[in-house]
Amino acid sequence: MKRIALLLLAALLVSLYFYGNVAVAEEDEEHGGDIIYTKPLKAVIFSHKAHTEDIGLECDWCHEETFEMEALYMQENTDFTMESLCNENYCGTCHNGDISFSTTTQCARCHIGVKGYNELVRQGKIEPEEGDVIQVEGGGH
Amino acid sequence: MKLMNINLEKLIPESLDSVSPMERRSFLKMGLVITGVFAGGRIFSVVSNVNEAFASSTDFVEKYPYSPHYSMVIRQGLCIDCEQCLQACKETNSVPDYGYRTRILTKTVSDAIGRQREFIPILCNHCNDAPCTRACPTKATYKNEVNGVVMMNSKKCIGCKMCILACPYEARYYNAERRAIDKCNFCYDTRISKGEKLTACSYVCPTGARIFGDISDPENVVYSMVHQIEKQVWVLRPESGTKPNVFYMKATRSSPWDLRKQAGAR
Repeated sequence: MKRIALLLLAALLVSLYFYGNVAVAEEDEEHGGDIIYTKPLKAVIFSHKAHTEDIGLECDWCHEETFEMEALYMQENTDFTMESLCNENYCGTCHNGDISFSTTTQCARCHIGVKGYNELVRQGKIEPEEGDVIQVEGGGH
Repeated sequence: MKLMNINLEKLIPESLDSVSPMERRSFLKMGLVITGVFAGGRIFSVVSNVNEAFASSTDFVEKYPYSPHYSMVIRQGLCIDCEQCLQACKETNSVPDYGYRTRILTKTVSDAIGRQREFIPILCNHCNDAPCTRACPTKATYKNEVNGVVMMNSKKCIGCKMCILACPYEARYYNAERRAIDKCNFCYDTRISKGEKLTACSYVCPTGARIFGDISDPENVVYSMVHQIEKQVWVLRPESGTKPNVFYMKATRSSPWDLRKQAGAR
């Protein structure tokens, strides 16, 4: 009898554990995931996970004053440039060397480049844009 | 497409003991002191010694055999792999999709704090002592006597690919359309000889990672960058004894933004 009770308890704990994981997984999807900017240059990564889960920023700190909710909405703006970022617009609102690292440093921290972009396409994480030629490194001639 | 054999992931500093006195001396003559050795002696890190080694900058300039002596400085930390340079090079010099005149290597440092990615542009080093020109049986590839650019004469090229084997920088490919080897010539035929000041790649570079100029001219930006006191500058594969003219340096920070671009760039 005691043995059955223990087993039941174990089963209950296991199910609670998995239920908990499911809850976390659902929470994961509440942010926008990785955003890959391709304008004005290919390619820059913005990680929602790094900004919300890892350092705990709230959604409304950036949305919708600095960034629209719609992904990649801002990159259609003509002033979505490094110069503008350096003048504390867009990412530069916080990445000004004061609140967070400046946009004049650590270039390749955000710039994943064409190679990083192609790698994400190969992994099936993003859809290639029209006219993209994805070359396989080390292949060909 | 072949990649360079250097395993950038596993670069660890090595002992200076492995550097021969001859090698030290040849670097000193260039106004550089060796401060570190990497990758089995393939990569040296050096600092400028111009002030100590030479009485005046003119002494130093006389060591450069060409005038103008075309060179390029790669400011490594500024490259963002946007590949505008690759695109501009392809368009300017009719480089086919299977070929390249310049490439960008990626190095990932997964345990670094902050930036974990580094992009390293590579191209023909236009060596003073170019092994490719020695290997060529028909003299199809040669040093331009005035400015030191390593040129190709496609008409003379028989496609034997000896130069590809001789080049320690893997800067050459066989162009099937031209039926000849093709390589970077600092845009000599397409831009520089037509009066342009910059190569296509340095012209379009949005960050100033590729700085092109005349290293023999103390007024030139390349001269001042390479000869900054106590600034680490290095070349690739110095053990080949090729005396390369593409210099590398770290540049992790510069502001304001506009100052990064080379003067005259797009």
